[in-house]
Amino acid sequence: MQTAWTLLPVTTLALRQFTGGRTARLVLLLSCLPALFAAIYAFRPSGIAPGEFLDGLFRELIVPTLAPIVVLLPATGAFGDELEDGTLPYLLMKPVSRLRLILGKFLAVLLVTIPSLLIGLALTTLIASRAPGSADLGALLLAMGAAAAMLAVLLAAVFLLVSLVIPRALLAGMVYVFAWESLLGRFLPGVRAISSREHALQIFDGILAGDAALATNAAVAMAVAAVVALALAVWRLRSMQVE
Amino acid sequence: MTDAAPFTANGHALPGLAPGEEPVIALRNVAKWYGEVVAVSDVSFGIGPGVTGLLGPNGAGKSTILNLMAGLLAPSAGTVRILDRPVRGNPAIYREIGFASEHEQLYPSLRGREFVRLNAILQKVADPDAATERAIDLVDMQEAAGRALRGYSKGMRQRIKVAAALVHDPRVLLLDEPLNGTDPVQRASLTALMRRLGEAGKTVVVSSHVLSEVERFAHNILVIVNGKLAAAGDYRAIRERMDTRDHIVRIRCSDPRRLAAALVAEPVTTSVRMTGDGRMIVETPDARGFGLLLPEVARREGIRLYELQPVDESLASVFSYLVGK
Repeated sequence: MQTAWTLLPVTTLALRQFTGGRTARLVLLLSCLPALFAAIYAFRPSGIAPGEFLDGLFRELIVPTLAPIVVLLPATGAFGDELEDGTLPYLLMKPVSRLRLILGKFLAVLLVTIPSLLIGLALTTLIASRAPGSADLGALLLAMGAAAAMLAVLLAAVFLLVSLVIPRALLAGMVYVFAWESLLGRFLPGVRAISSREHALQIFDGILAGDAALATNAAVAMAVAAVVALALAVWRLRSMQVE
Repeated sequence: MTDAAPFTANGHALPGLAPGEEPVIALRNVAKWYGEVVAVSDVSFGIGPGVTGLLGPNGAGKSTILNLMAGLLAPSAGTVRILDRPVRGNPAIYREIGFASEHEQLYPSLRGREFVRLNAILQKVADPDAATERAIDLVDMQEAAGRALRGYSKGMRQRIKVAAALVHDPRVLLLDEPLNGTDPVQRASLTALMRRLGEAGKTVVVSSHVLSEVERFAHNILVIVNGKLAAAGDYRAIRERMDTRDHIVRIRCSDPRRLAAALVAEPVTTSVRMTGDGRMIVETPDARGFGLLLPEVARREGIRLYELQPVDESLASVFSYLVGK
């Protein structure tokens, strides 16, 4: 622990805040929520194959709604909570570049969200595989894991930025998740093209179909968008005024 | 004229500095406004080594000025420099600055020692463990340092914040109301610490709204009222200016009319008026002299004194007086 503090003080601090409060528990609980649906599916035979069930669950619940909320909680709290309670000067008034502060918090958000999402997906797949007609679900789990991890990377960067710009970032993020990703992103082609949901599903489909170009292009687009969001967050942290 | 020169942008000497003294902290024609609201208005002063009290009533703009010095706020006009370097947008300068904010909240899940050590690591101190123990010792927090911050009293939070601000041995220390919520023992200990730091050549700026408190640790004071610098310089000189104003005293006694008639004939009394509720209000330029005279007059006239209360000793009235000058 001492080494973690020494090497990654900002990340370790954020992780302690997440684990010391309710954030980490809530993230893990929400990530494992699909396992509950998988249990209902597995113990009440419906004639749907496990692969088909998991595909639907991932497309309709995990990517558009659940994963964004899982990322939203720690990402908006990482800076937002410190802005609210006045502890941010303890980080800002240090000879540490704003880039390192942003990257430290970003890493902490990823360390708490990606493992939770992967645990939730693995648990969900394991339970669903108990249903009759189960084929090898390894490839599906890999595709879901990669898409969810990339989605977490993009949304962590975006929500970190939002928390530095908007005072009620959690509320704004919720509106974004439900209005943009969950609702408009499904029906409006223009919105779909620039929604994180669409790109995450391209990674998912690309891996499952063996279409490396589709998956890579989507991953690169998401990575570029994440870098832009992080750069804007650094700029915002440099220029913002704190009391 | 260089930025290090002890002058304002207009070439006037920076208030708060002794003749020829170079400023460690220099604010030149600084203003801060939020839309139509002016929080700080054309403030210029210099601060040299030693303890300086930033004094003013609540809402006067002390915290805004400290936050401007700390680089947390950008001035709307003017410049803020510490050690002849800009603070805002210059993270490297924080190696030289320690800051304890007025906010009570700390990281609740951390222990006191972890919080101080975190500050040492972020300050890139060579031996964070040794620096942490030294800082904790300075504020007498060894016993409680292993406990979670969420269980700390207000006074303990203040002390651990000061430890965190001191952990990298900065040349400049900015403390926003550090004595708030401390008990008398903690207050005495922090006051002694601030004095020692000042004597060691550190530049310590301590904000407070309690006049008698500032007197204990700072010879040099800056008085802020309504976002303006009302007075700057030696505490005693300013205190003397305060003492030359008329003091107002409310008296309740067995025979107010008779006492009023007796007092009005005395040279230390400027005016006497009855309040209608059996009390009287007396104005005097010499509070000490009046304090000695009153019992004597009462005894001579056979009047019993029930109540003697100064009614204008609040900071607001003192500062209003200073601003009015």
